[in-house]
Amino acid sequence: MDLSLEYALPVLTDPIVIGLIVAGTVMGVVIGALPGLSSSMGVALLLPFSLYLEPIPAIALLSALYCAGTFGGSITAILINAPGAPPAVATAFDGYPMATKGEAGRALGIAAVSSASGGILSVLVLLFAAPLLAQVAYSFGPPEYFALGVFALSMLASISGEAPLKNLIGGCLGLLIATVGIDLTTGVERFTFGVPELYEGIQFIPVLIGLFAVTELLNQAQELGRERIAVTVSALKLPSLDDFRRVKNTILRSSCIGIFVGVLPAEGSTMAAMVGYNEAKRWSKTPDDFGKGAIEGVAGPEAANNAATGGAMVPTLALGIPGSATAAVILGGLQVQGLRPGPYLFEEQPGLLYGIFFAMLLANILFLFIGLLGAKVFSRISLVPRTFLWPTVFALCFVGAYGLNQSMVDVWIMIISGLVGFVLKKNGFGPAPIIMGVVLGGLVETSLAQSMIIFDQQWTGFLSRPITLSLLVLAVISLIGGKIRSVLRRLLSRTNRTA
Amino acid sequence: MKHHDTITGLALLALCAIAYWLTTGFSEVPAMLSQNVPPTFFPRLVISIVATLSVVLVAAGIGREPEITGRSSTTFWRTVAIIASTGILASILGTLLTLGIVAVALPIAWGERRYSFIGILAVCLPISIYLIFTLGLNVYFPTGQIVGLLLEN
Repeated sequence: MDLSLEYALPVLTDPIVIGLIVAGTVMGVVIGALPGLSSSMGVALLLPFSLYLEPIPAIALLSALYCAGTFGGSITAILINAPGAPPAVATAFDGYPMATKGEAGRALGIAAVSSASGGILSVLVLLFAAPLLAQVAYSFGPPEYFALGVFALSMLASISGEAPLKNLIGGCLGLLIATVGIDLTTGVERFTFGVPELYEGIQFIPVLIGLFAVTELLNQAQELGRERIAVTVSALKLPSLDDFRRVKNTILRSSCIGIFVGVLPAEGSTMAAMVGYNEAKRWSKTPDDFGKGAIEGVAGPEAANNAATGGAMVPTLALGIPGSATAAVILGGLQVQGLRPGPYLFEEQPGLLYGIFFAMLLANILFLFIGLLGAKVFSRISLVPRTFLWPTVFALCFVGAYGLNQSMVDVWIMIISGLVGFVLKKNGFGPAPIIMGVVLGGLVETSLAQSMIIFDQQWTGFLSRPITLSLLVLAVISLIGGKIRSVLRRLLSRTNRTA
Repeated sequence: MKHHDTITGLALLALCAIAYWLTTGFSEVPAMLSQNVPPTFFPRLVISIVATLSVVLVAAGIGREPEITGRSSTTFWRTVAIIASTGILASILGTLLTLGIVAVALPIAWGERRYSFIGILAVCLPISIYLIFTLGLNVYFPTGQIVGLLLEN
């Protein structure tokens, strides 16, 4: 990939791209700050409308929203103890206690600086790592892609420690949804029930709008009446230089953790934030202050969750394997735009990497100022009555699902996905693994079919290629690694007790 | 894992059985394409994996205490009814009118009693959608059977 400025300048100087990045950042902070609306849902809702744009401005808009939305969640986490998005859950542990002590401005300032630092570091990694990874991926054939898909799906087992089995089932259900339509190699209809609109498969956008937004709407309907106590930002007291000195190592450490977790397929900002928080506590000189309003407890998760955004885009762009749920939605957006995520993407769209890099960089810088100067204004967003917010969100869902093909079948798919998604969520199945399965379905099936032809229908062929074998071994480790770890821990504690 | 998971696992197994049965109805592959992987191969592979994982889910849930979950409120069921009916309503009344009705019905179902605000939302929402999407982006929404009949007459 050519990193020359020849491709960068047209993107960096395009007023439309800059305008869309600013709009995406503001929308991201607003969406992130609204309890119940996450960056995944924001990107999902915006995706159908971004299709009216050229690929680079469209992806720049979505990428900016992704970064800003991840930060936005911290505002309500700190002020009303209601994380606007799952990655901000860990921020509330210490952010809200700080706010109740009258240090809301300090907490918001630390959150903004940590988020921006983590985000900026991660986009720098993205700029250099994505093309390098793409170079490696040039040598990948169908068996390697199949193994990579299996590895990505196996990582679903570790997205949430509580429900690895359900995440795997969710991912497989997503794969099954992706099989609907005419089989490309044989022309045979599968699960179409004679509905012509399903011949080309179930459209990705209505499914993801249903799973993310409609499911959350139903969730909100069940949570009505729960009161949230808001803390007022009486004075925007910014963090002192001393505060920054205290958290600089936490920010750096958590940023590295966030980038690493983000690069891993399927792992996203939420996991990065939890690891970032735990590590901040482990390295702290005053771990007992955690949970009572420690600034490292805000800096750690915030740096990590925003660093994961850039990290997650590395495998998404270079390999076509999503690094997080939101990256899966952006990947879907690239596919709907007619682009081919993977190593050839940078050849076909040389400006795209710059578009995404620039969007994420600018978004991180912009929300730093927004976070520092506009926290008071954005904190009021959480006061928008849910009774008016959600009908508007539903109208956007309807229009977004319908708009792509102007088909009512897509609206029905969105409604059914939402209802099914809610039932699944109530039974412990999150929407992210299903989306991951839907996005990876085509790649996994096609590469498996091609591999089987290459290997003359012999499964053992997969063991004859080193990269494939390594990826499959990693997949097995990620599937059973957690179980082995807990068995070993149990054995160790039993041995210690007897000793 | 909770006892609840046993029921979830059994439901998934039933889903797998139905999905597998559906794969038996796939058309025959033309002879010239028979060297390819059959169209049933991948769906059946995925169904088998889901079935295996579901068996594990069933087994893990046996003997565990059932999870205590609250009953869904009337508000929730009203919301489900409103959402589910939008698809039908849109084909009868048209999309914009349906979204206007949703803008009234959903807030009222959720306990909102500031009718003037509800009225503003019900009017502004469809109008904004029409201005942005129909006039701005050329997205034409179904006008519905009733409007269609009125226009015919």
